[in-house]
Amino acid sequence: MNAPLFKFEYFNTDVSLIIAFAIGIAFGIALEKGGFGRATILASQFYFTNMRVLKVMFTAIVTAMLGLYFLSVVGFVDLSLIYLTQTNMLPMIVGGLIAGVGFVIGGYCPGTSMVAVATGKIDAVVYVIGMVFGIFIFGEMFPSIENFFNSGFMGSVTLPAYFNLSYGFVVFLVVLMAIGAFAAAEWGEKKMAAKAGKEKQ
Amino acid sequence: MKKFFSNLTTNQKLGGVALVLGIMALFAGDPYGGTTIKVNEKDIALSTVGNSDKVSVTELADWIIKDRADFELIDLRSEEKYNEYTIPNSQCIPLLQLSASELQRNQKIILFSDDDVASSQAWFILKSKNYKGVYILDGGLNKWKENVLFPKAPINGSKDELVQFEKMKEVAKYFGGQAQTDSSITENTTLIKLPTSTTTKTKTTTPTGKKKKREGC
Repeated sequence: MNAPLFKFEYFNTDVSLIIAFAIGIAFGIALEKGGFGRATILASQFYFTNMRVLKVMFTAIVTAMLGLYFLSVVGFVDLSLIYLTQTNMLPMIVGGLIAGVGFVIGGYCPGTSMVAVATGKIDAVVYVIGMVFGIFIFGEMFPSIENFFNSGFMGSVTLPAYFNLSYGFVVFLVVLMAIGAFAAAEWGEKKMAAKAGKEKQ
Repeated sequence: MKKFFSNLTTNQKLGGVALVLGIMALFAGDPYGGTTIKVNEKDIALSTVGNSDKVSVTELADWIIKDRADFELIDLRSEEKYNEYTIPNSQCIPLLQLSASELQRNQKIILFSDDDVASSQAWFILKSKNYKGVYILDGGLNKWKENVLFPKAPINGSKDELVQFEKMKEVAKYFGGQAQTDSSITENTTLIKLPTSTTTKTKTTTPTGKKKKREGC
């Protein structure tokens, strides 16, 4: 058996949709369990009082990265068959900033807002309506921003290829970065908690 | 030491596992495991544009007649088709088996199939594997049949063209084909029986080669 399973045709498109649905449900449950269905927890990330978002995200990144890396080193996964989003540097930075501002204002990102809607949060419903409205505006504006949207095209770039480093070295760096981030987050949380404690007194 | 481990929280243990795996990754190598290839775009584009990657059928016929042995002629079609008819001195390596073949990188390799499609793909595969002297038989076996085995007489051809045709007639004879002078036959070349592989492979007809030379002068 080899992965990606779909690319090696272990199942057809219809079955893949069922599997996608199951994975989507599982992902939603994981997000809700992680506390990502509550805007207060997500927003506290930006006040450095609760670094849960950073910890969960980095854990997910490191787990997926190590899993994919070692599974492909032993030959189970064919990495070249895995889809990579193509990069447009400047448009992506601008888009990331817009999404970040939306995240701070609304307290959700697109995925977590859906989770919060599923658990019946009114603010999330408003957030999703706003998001759909934003998609509509983007669609209407698209002809006038199309040139910018397609500018700075770099194809499918990976960090190792871009910086001309070995894949293993980048994996090692990301692990170090994650552990550093975990330690810093723990430390920061304690500092902020102490500060909050002092203010109360 | 034991106490140190038992004092760690679950999170710290997981972090430690990640760190160990990260350090292992430093020495574990490339995850793409040879499934990707590097291609020199410019080199490939230049040889295609400059036509330096092609060998014409008349050129190849000339080389075979002169008994040159400095190239490998590869028939990319199926074994069945190969047994039916092939160009003399060729070996059969179907496209799928190409990468597993024992072709040497320093050999001059000429690829052909019925048309240019399979040979272009094979050419790209070999080029991407750093084979240097890879060539496509321009027009493939179809053109070989058309221009070498069954050349047509030029209609209202100039003197030079007629001389050339006389030469091609001999070449066709050498390979067991026949030049087409009657226009009624040229209409349905497909009906003409292809020379069998065995007769073309045995190269006993050197006199015709000599004859061709004389006429060429």
